[in-house]
Amino acid sequence: MSGPKWQATAELFREFQALGRASLLYDAQDSHSGNMALRRTNERGEDEIVITATGSQKGDLEPSQICFLSAQETDYGYYKASSETDIHARILALPGVRASMHAHLKDLILATLDDAPKPSQPPDFVPVDPLARHILGAAIPVDWFAVPSGSPELARVIPERLADHPLTIIFGHGAMAKGRSLREAFFRLCVGNYAGAVVRGMEKLGVDIEAVRRTIAANPARAFAGPPPVYEVEGDDRSDFRDEEEILREFVKAGHRIFESRLSPFHTGSMSVRGVTTMLYAPKASMPRDVGGPLLSVPLAAGPADDAETSLHKAIYAASDFQSVMHCHIPEAEASAYFVYPDEQAPADRIIPIDAEGSFLYLVIPVLPPQVTAAELIRSLHEYKVAVVRGGGVWAVGAQSLSEVLHHPSSVREICFYRMGAVERGLDLRRMEPPKAKRW
Amino acid sequence: MPDFSISGYHGRVLVADLTRGEVRTVPLDPDTALHYLGGRGLATRLLYDTIDPACDPLGPDNAFVIASSPLVGANAPTAGRGHMVFKSPLTGVIGTSNSGGTWGAAFKSAGYDALVVKGAAASPVMIDLAPGRAQILPAEGVWGKTTHETNDALSAASEPGHPVRVLCIGPAGENLVRFAAVANDRNRVYGRCGPGAVWGSKKLKAIRVQGREKISIADPERYRSGLDQAVYLMKQAPVTKRLMRDLGTAGLVELINLIAMLPHKNFQDCLHREEDVERISGETLAKTLLEKAGSCYLCPIGCQRHTRVAGRAGGEERGEGPEYETMVLMGPLCGIYDMAAITRANYRANEQGLDTMSYGGTLACAMELAERGLIGREETGGLDLAFGATEALESLVGMTARREGLGASLAEGAYRLAAGRGRPDFAMTVKKLEIPAYDPRASLTQALGYMTSPSGACHLRGGYAVSLAFFGGAKEIPRFSLLQSPIAIRNMQNLGILQDSLGVCRFTGYAFAADPWARMVSGVTGRDFSVARLEEIENRVATLERLFNVEAGATAEDDSLPARFADVPIVVEGKERRVSREDQERMKKDYYAVRGWDAEGRPTPELLRTLGIKGKRP
Repeated sequence: MSGPKWQATAELFREFQALGRASLLYDAQDSHSGNMALRRTNERGEDEIVITATGSQKGDLEPSQICFLSAQETDYGYYKASSETDIHARILALPGVRASMHAHLKDLILATLDDAPKPSQPPDFVPVDPLARHILGAAIPVDWFAVPSGSPELARVIPERLADHPLTIIFGHGAMAKGRSLREAFFRLCVGNYAGAVVRGMEKLGVDIEAVRRTIAANPARAFAGPPPVYEVEGDDRSDFRDEEEILREFVKAGHRIFESRLSPFHTGSMSVRGVTTMLYAPKASMPRDVGGPLLSVPLAAGPADDAETSLHKAIYAASDFQSVMHCHIPEAEASAYFVYPDEQAPADRIIPIDAEGSFLYLVIPVLPPQVTAAELIRSLHEYKVAVVRGGGVWAVGAQSLSEVLHHPSSVREICFYRMGAVERGLDLRRMEPPKAKRW
Repeated sequence: MPDFSISGYHGRVLVADLTRGEVRTVPLDPDTALHYLGGRGLATRLLYDTIDPACDPLGPDNAFVIASSPLVGANAPTAGRGHMVFKSPLTGVIGTSNSGGTWGAAFKSAGYDALVVKGAAASPVMIDLAPGRAQILPAEGVWGKTTHETNDALSAASEPGHPVRVLCIGPAGENLVRFAAVANDRNRVYGRCGPGAVWGSKKLKAIRVQGREKISIADPERYRSGLDQAVYLMKQAPVTKRLMRDLGTAGLVELINLIAMLPHKNFQDCLHREEDVERISGETLAKTLLEKAGSCYLCPIGCQRHTRVAGRAGGEERGEGPEYETMVLMGPLCGIYDMAAITRANYRANEQGLDTMSYGGTLACAMELAERGLIGREETGGLDLAFGATEALESLVGMTARREGLGASLAEGAYRLAAGRGRPDFAMTVKKLEIPAYDPRASLTQALGYMTSPSGACHLRGGYAVSLAFFGGAKEIPRFSLLQSPIAIRNMQNLGILQDSLGVCRFTGYAFAADPWARMVSGVTGRDFSVARLEEIENRVATLERLFNVEAGATAEDDSLPARFADVPIVVEGKERRVSREDQERMKKDYYAVRGWDAEGRPTPELLRTLGIKGKRP
C-alpha cells in the first residue's frame, strides 16, 4: 500500500512535468494522450508504481495527477491512474525495467500504416536511419489490436514485445517504450518517431525505401556511420562548468532549441565549445527545458576512453581553428541524403537549397558517405561549415560560439523541408536550384 | 620580368631606395604570394625580409611596405584598401595600419602588388608612379604643407577616367610626431602607430599614383558565387545595410554607453550623463553637422561623414568626421561633450596628419597629469588643461604637429609623456599605443585583444571583440568567459588578418566571415584559397608578426594592460568588473598556447617550420 502520503515530491513531480511537457512539445501526444510510469521503492521501503492520471494533460501536469499505487496488489491508487496501468505494471515487472512510457508518435504511426484488411499481423518496421537501427534494433514489432487502448490483449502482448525490444508499436495508435528511467523511455520513443520521420521524408522525396532497406540488410556496417554513444541513465545533473555562467547559459539555450526545433531527438546529438586544454561538452545535446543533460569539461587531448562521438569533436578541433562543434540528427536531412534525381541512379552528393535564404547562406550542403573519414569530414566543414553524413547525422562548426554553430543545422532543416515539400507538390527541383550551385 | 602566372597579381614589387635615389621593380615570388596572400600578410613578409626588427624606427634602416591584394581591382565590395607595415616609432614593435579611400585601388592599377620604401633622402622627395613609370621627384614645394594642400597640389594632373591619387604626410609627419598619420583623399588615413613619422624620417612627403592596368579573373563563376553571397549578406545585416550610412561609426556612441564600455576621463570610469552622451551621438551628428554620407572605393556601406561646423572665429568649415573613435577619444575621454569642438579638432588633426586616436589618448593622459599637478600652467602656456577644456583640445593639435610648447611632449605619445613625469601608470596604453574607445573592463575578450594585438592596443589588429560580444548576431560570445576569450580573440584577430590581407573593410565582418572571400579570391586567382588554406595563412601572418616583435625586443610583459584596469573596477550590469592580473596571466598563457607559442609568447621553432616561416636566425 502506498500509505497516506499520496503526494509527489518536488523532484519527482518536476521530472514528470518536464517530460510530459517535452513530449507534448515534440508532438508525441495530443492534449490528453499518453502516459508514463516508473517503479520505485518509496520512502517507506515499499515497491511502488508512480503513473500519470487517466485523462491528464501531459503538457500541464498537476501534482495531484501523479498517482502512486502498489506494484504488488490493486489499491486505491488504481482509481485515478492511467487506463493503461495494467500494461505499464507488467512492463515494469520485466527484469531491469524501471520506467515505461506511451506516446502517440505520429511520424512512426504514419510510416507503419497500411490498408491491408484487418485483423492481420502488420510487418515489423525496419528503420533506415542510424539512430533507430542502433538503439531500437533492425526491426521494430508492430501489432494490430481490436481494442488498441487499455485492453487485456494489449496488457498481454505489449510486455511480451518489450521483453525483447526497447520499443514496440501499436498499429494506428502509438508506441510503448521501456527504460531504466523515464528519460530513457522517452529517449527511445523520440528515436522511434525520428525513424518514422526519416521514412516519411524519403516517401515524400520518392526514395525507393525498399531498395535502401535491401542495401542496409546486405551490409549494415557500411550503411551507417559509427554507433551513437551508449545511453547513460546516470549523470544528467552533472555540470562541470557552473562558474562559466555565460557559456553555461549558451549550452542550455542551444539544448532547448535543438529539442524544441526538432533538430535532434531527445538526448541525441552532441555539442561542444573548446577551450585551450579543455572541451566543454554536452553528449546529450537535445535537452528540453527543465530536463537537461550532462555538461562536461573534458580534456581537449584525445584519450583512450573517448567514445567515437567525443573523439570526432576533438579531432575537428585538433585540425582546425573552430571553437564550436555540433552534431544533430535531423530527419529531413537524413531523408534528403538519399534523394536521387529522376534521371540519375545514385543519391546526390549535395543538397542544393531552393529557398531564398538557404541559397544565399549555403550554395550547397555537401552529403558525405556513411564511412567518410574524419579528415574528409573536417575538410568539408572547413569549406561549408555544415555537412550531412548519410547514415550519420549533420555536423556543423562555428568560429566563435554555440549560437553561431546552432544556426547551421537549423538552416539545414529548413532547406531540406522546402525541398521535400517541393517534390511532394510535384515541382521540378532541377528547375528551382540555382544553376551556379549545380555546377559548384 | 619572369612570367607570373597567378591571376589577380601583377607579379611586380616596386622597391624605392631613398638613400640612393633609386627605384627598381623586382618580381613577386609566387610562393610568397601564395603563402602571404597580399595586403597585411604580404607587406609583413616583405618588411621582415627587408629590415632588422631591432632597427631604429626613425633611422634610415627602417622601411615601410604597402601591399595590395588579388581582390583589389576585381570589383569585390570594399576591396580597395591598402595596408602599410613598418616598425613603429611610437611602440617599437611592428606598426601595421590600414586605410580606405581610393589610393589603394589606384596603386594596384598602377601595375604593382607592393611597394617597399627604404633608406632616407637628404631633402624632401615624393614618389611618382604610373604604369611603366616610377620615379623619385623633389618635393620641397609641398614640404610644410598640410595634407589637404599637398593632396590638392599633387593631384592637379588628373586626367578624365584616370585620376591621380595622392598619399601624403602633413606637418606632423615632417616633425616626427610619433603618432603622425599618412593620408589619402584628404581625410582617409593610415592612422595608427605613427607611419607619418617614418615617412618624415625618410623625408618622403608623398606618393602619387595614376593607374590603368587591370587584372584578370581566372574563374569568373567561382568568383561570382562568392560575390553574390557577400552582396546579399551585406544588404541584410543591420550595420552594413543602414546603420553606417545613416549614423556613421558615431552611431555606436549610445550603444557602447548602454553596455557600460564608453570610457571617461582617461579611463577613470565609464560614467556619463545620458544627455551628455546624446550630445556626441551619431544621431545628433546626423541631425546637426552632417552634410552627406560618403564611401571609400567600391564600398556599399558608406560610413564616411562629410560635415560642416561653425568655425571658432566665425564662418563655417567643411571636412570629414568625426568617427566613433575620434568622437570618444577626443570627447568623453577628455571629459568633453562638445561636438563642434571635437569636429574642429578632428579637421585640424586631418590637415596636420595626426592620428586622432592617439592624440585623444595622449591629451586625456595630459589632462590627468595636470589634474594631479604633474603638468603645471607654466608648461601649458596658460592654457587650461583640465578635463573638459575644449580650447586645449583644439589648440594643442597644431602645437603637437609643430612640436611647440607642451605640444613637443604630447608629440611623444601618452606613454613617454607620463613616464617623463614619473607616472607611466597614467598612460592608458598597451605597448605604448593608446587604447581605443572601448573600456576593456567591460569585456575580457576585448581586454585580451588589446593585450595581444601585435601593434599595441588596437581594436582592429587586436580583434574587435565588441562586435562579437554585443552585436555579433548569431556569433555573439560571452563577455566574461576566461575559457572562451583566448580562442574567440584568436579567431577574431585572424579574421582581421584576412580582411587586411585582402584589402577589404572590417565592417564586412558584420555581415559575413571568411567563406565568401574564400570563393572570391579562389575565383580571381584560380588557386586554392579555401577557408582552410586562408586559416593557415592567417596563422602564418600572426606568427610572423609575433616573430618580428620578439626580434624587436618585445616580451610577454608587454602583453599587459595598464594597472588601472586591474585595480579600479567599473560597474557593468550591476557588477564590479576589472581585469585582474591573474585573469590577464591566465588568458595570456592560454592565448599563447592556442597560437602555438611558448610560455613566454615566442613562436617555437617547430611552429615556424610547420607554418613554413623562414626566420632571420637559423
